[in-house]
Amino acid sequence: MRAGRFILGSAALVAVPWIVAALLPGQQRYVLHVLIFTALYGSLALSYDLVVGHVGSLSLAHPAFFGLGAYTAALLATEGHWPFAAALPAGVGLAALVALAVGVPMFRLTEHSFAMGTLGFAIVTQVVATNWVDFTHGPLCVTGIPKPQVGALRIATLPAFYWMGLATLALVALLYRGLTTFRLGRAFHAVRDNETLAAAASIDPLKYRMLGFVIGGAVAGGVGALYVSYVGVLCPGELTVSLSVNLLVMIFLGGIGTLRGVLVGAAAFTALPEVLRMAPNWRMVIYGLLLLVIVIRAPDGLEGLIRRGSSLGRRPWGA
Amino acid sequence: MALFETRGLTKRFLGVTAVDGVDLSVEAGELVSLIGPNGSGKTTLFNCVTGYLVPDEGRVTFRGRDVTGVAAHRIARLGVGRTFQLVSVFPRLSAIENLLTFLQQHQEESLVGRLVRAPRVRRLEAAAVERARSLLDSVGLAARADVPAGTLSYGQRKLLAFAAALMPDPELLLLDEPAAAINPTMIEQMKAQIRALHREGKTVLLVEHNMDVVMDISQRVIVLDHGQKIAEGPPEVVRRDPKVVEAYFGR
Repeated sequence: MRAGRFILGSAALVAVPWIVAALLPGQQRYVLHVLIFTALYGSLALSYDLVVGHVGSLSLAHPAFFGLGAYTAALLATEGHWPFAAALPAGVGLAALVALAVGVPMFRLTEHSFAMGTLGFAIVTQVVATNWVDFTHGPLCVTGIPKPQVGALRIATLPAFYWMGLATLALVALLYRGLTTFRLGRAFHAVRDNETLAAAASIDPLKYRMLGFVIGGAVAGGVGALYVSYVGVLCPGELTVSLSVNLLVMIFLGGIGTLRGVLVGAAAFTALPEVLRMAPNWRMVIYGLLLLVIVIRAPDGLEGLIRRGSSLGRRPWGA
Repeated sequence: MALFETRGLTKRFLGVTAVDGVDLSVEAGELVSLIGPNGSGKTTLFNCVTGYLVPDEGRVTFRGRDVTGVAAHRIARLGVGRTFQLVSVFPRLSAIENLLTFLQQHQEESLVGRLVRAPRVRRLEAAAVERARSLLDSVGLAARADVPAGTLSYGQRKLLAFAAALMPDPELLLLDEPAAAINPTMIEQMKAQIRALHREGKTVLLVEHNMDVVMDISQRVIVLDHGQKIAEGPPEVVRRDPKVVEAYFGR
């Protein structure tokens, strides 16, 4: 029953380009574009939630790791003429290495200082991206980033990018699930909830914090590399602090520390601005109000609402 | 040779000497109590020997190995279990998961094996679940296995923390006030648990304020006052020691 629904759901997700073409013939490009962004944002939000929701550290360094992966892949592909199959892992690897180097001193800081320290790192990264014009082209942006080509497979059309995004999201979700359940999840949650007691359980708190931080950073770097290969242009404005704010809204809106919640949050957050396009001036106001309502009325986010809803449904006489 | 030993252990906080040159040794299979008035340095001593504090002077040895200044998670891994004075469980994990958390690092630490749930790790997990169930049963919490530990009563959480410390079958168990702030029935239950451990040949060092418990179950009592060891011996001898009486009741 569950397996059947899973297979049906997956098949539907894979068939989306044809479904959209049949239902909304004129809108296909636009809808697929939004879906590609949703998949990439969803992957990024999951990698961010590993750090915030499961390691339990409010890191604001995520735009820097996203940017490191994006710039590495973009510059290697344009200036170095590296193939995509080499530029992507290079972006992932560099983001992971930098996360490793940054994490060791950062995790010596307590909660608030950690947030400040990682924010500082994110700002420095953006300043470097903006001002090291000879290397990053600064505000002139890296342009003409080639479409991914792996062997004979060339990803250039919107449906192809959609499938790439979907595959990425599936892979990241699988990794997220593996890390946050069973023995690894238990170790992460033990460190998050009570570091002292975790050490008495022979769990090395620093090791698990670093593990979550480095994997989160590496995935963010990978998403950055995929993102630039889709968009074709990379500007320093992509790395601003507002990306951290967006990611925070997504995971809090959806439900921190939950796979389904974060995905729902990312989807809602990516789709919402498109819906609100008719009222561009009011967009930020509506975001703010929405976030306020969620934090006050539904601190578990949409995931909490879904869970409460389904448990009500299971009761014989309703609520 | 003693299983566990401190030599000249000293810890100072801003000029206050909380633990002052304490020599202490516990033989394998012994049940020893550490007592003393409030602020006499018992918990600081516990924290120094379990890696939570680095002593300023002195040595800590466990099984003949110098473990002075070794990190807490490493000392735990060597087979030193401990509980905390304030009830300490992982509130969002279920009761049984609390227990499983305490055994898994002793069974394997394979990141990849855990990520892909390798068959070997699954088998170890199944064995751990079985052990956790029997321990929960022995402390009377079998029926609460799947509820979040944070929803248990204070006394139940105390028993859960005790059972969790037993999960990896530690060679030395340090209990920080196991009978504090729980009701008389649970105190009896806790006493029975500690006695049972002793009968199985486990080595136990406990800090306790409840004199009935201390006098009833310990083989040997060590008394601290102002960070110094002032007396040591069988319970009935220590009880009458004038220095101990003075430390507790004043001159």
